[in-house]
Amino acid sequence: MSKTILNLKDLTIKFGGVTALNSVNLELKEGEILALIGPNGAGKTTVFNLITGVYKPTSGNVFLGDVAIDGKKRHHITKLGIARTFQNIRLFGDMTTLENVITASDVRNKVGLIGSILGTPRSRREEKASVAKAHEILKFIGIDEYADRLAKNLPYGVQRRLEIARALGTEPKILLLDEPAAGFNPQEKVELAVTIKKIRDAGYTILLIEHDMSLIMGISDRVAVLDFGQKIADDLPSVVQNNPQVIAAYLGVPEDAS
Amino acid sequence: MINLRDKGAEFWERSNRPVRVLTVFAILAVIAALPYAGNSFLQTPIAAFDAVLVYPMGMFILMALGLNVVVGKSGMLDLGYVAFFAVGAYTMALLSTHTGLNTWEIMPIGIIAAMIAGVLLAIPTLRLRGDYLAIVTLGFGEIVRVSALNSESIGGALGIAGIPFPPGLGFEYQLLDQKYFYWTILVMILLVIWVIRRLTVRRPGRAWESIRQDEDAAELMGVSTYKYKIWAFVFGAAIGGGAGVFYASRSMVIAPDNFTLNTSILILACVVFGGMGNIWGVIVGAAILGYLPDRFRFLSDARLLLFGLVLVIFMNLRPEGILPRKKREKAIVKKGSDAAL
Repeated sequence: MSKTILNLKDLTIKFGGVTALNSVNLELKEGEILALIGPNGAGKTTVFNLITGVYKPTSGNVFLGDVAIDGKKRHHITKLGIARTFQNIRLFGDMTTLENVITASDVRNKVGLIGSILGTPRSRREEKASVAKAHEILKFIGIDEYADRLAKNLPYGVQRRLEIARALGTEPKILLLDEPAAGFNPQEKVELAVTIKKIRDAGYTILLIEHDMSLIMGISDRVAVLDFGQKIADDLPSVVQNNPQVIAAYLGVPEDAS
Repeated sequence: MINLRDKGAEFWERSNRPVRVLTVFAILAVIAALPYAGNSFLQTPIAAFDAVLVYPMGMFILMALGLNVVVGKSGMLDLGYVAFFAVGAYTMALLSTHTGLNTWEIMPIGIIAAMIAGVLLAIPTLRLRGDYLAIVTLGFGEIVRVSALNSESIGGALGIAGIPFPPGLGFEYQLLDQKYFYWTILVMILLVIWVIRRLTVRRPGRAWESIRQDEDAAELMGVSTYKYKIWAFVFGAAIGGGAGVFYASRSMVIAPDNFTLNTSILILACVVFGGMGNIWGVIVGAAILGYLPDRFRFLSDARLLLFGLVLVIFMNLRPEGILPRKKREKAIVKKGSDAAL
């Protein structure tokens, strides 16, 4: 097995009296697609928020490689190589598709305010390279034809794809996808599955939150299941599918059965 | 109402380079010739037209451009912008009356002083957002004014008098014929436009724009929002400070009364009235709002009523300002877009 790239150790977070995550351990191996599933309110997006620094864990750590990244600033974590999409689309609506990606790719750029004003050779070079890179990413995701359209005017499916493109703009090692197929029809889901596999094959590691079982079973290498803030399963998709605990979490247990 | 912004932008895109250059020079020539238009219907009844062109009009444009970076581009409501103007003006007043430095030598010092004031305000307050930020900045503006009012060492309520004109550069700045002041401020405005345009089409502009639209998403996409918010404040402060230095040098006398909350609000009105986030709109807005009260001065106190009425009616007709921010489908970044092929 390849090496662990992201490691969540005993991650616990409490909001007031509510324990949203209780001592969750999760390892993400380089180059895999790990699906994170669970009923609504199980704590999936909370895991994302902990990894990306939106929340600080009450206890436990998040390791990127050997470095603990919990408590680091959010933009710094992005710079270290973790990018995410949002469950409820949060694009920069008044920017074009291209600008959305370039804004994200700026995290790799060095030029600041002064260099931009002076128009130094390096600033020109970076600007040019950013535009080229953004077009490349848009082509890769298959939405380059929308490059000059304002994000808020894009069709819903393109917006979802732009979320992914924008995250890729930051040149991450790990891509966190929060319900990328929400609201998609079956055809779009199939296309998205192809795209996600393509992204993985390009060398990214993917952690995926999704509700659509056929999509998950089709593309993920491993599935972790959360229920009420606890990890109840973590195995190959086919194994998890038949895990009685998982089935119980999703379908409930008849009262006389246990 | 016709869409001036799109008409203008369409014309610009349709034109080739020579036409564009000619257009820019024609517009500049008309604007530069304005001091000679004083005998027309433009004449302001009490103040001379060339003086009105310098203050309030030119000064308002300069300040509105600076405030627009903070409010229009980055989406932070600053109600104490006049404080930076005051810092620049007081730097000019103090240094020119106590040392032998002239206006041009003091200009960079005043700008830096205003930038430092910007940092001092920004560091503790920029963790706040929206209404809370507005209240703190409002307080800051008042603190600066009240401090000046109560510091006898810098003139107290009387302010500072005897501030010299800028030394001439092959011509003499005159009180009764202010066209040289006007042309100087025109150059300053052009310089500021040039710098702002450079910033907005590049990384800082994108960072500010993303912060305005969704600060949390921007942060998670790697934008150092805190740093860029400070930069927006400091950059806006620099422009306000520069305007303040020049204002003090032209007015010869400054007092705390020149830097009230009213001015902050009025500059904000210029930005909103012209079109938040669009520098051309902001310029037009500031020019109109600077000009109107002087033009209708013969109505004496009723002119403020009229002024308010114009604002209310206009904002109802065009809630997003005269020239709203770009909503057309065209990339800010154009150069090099073929490079990917």
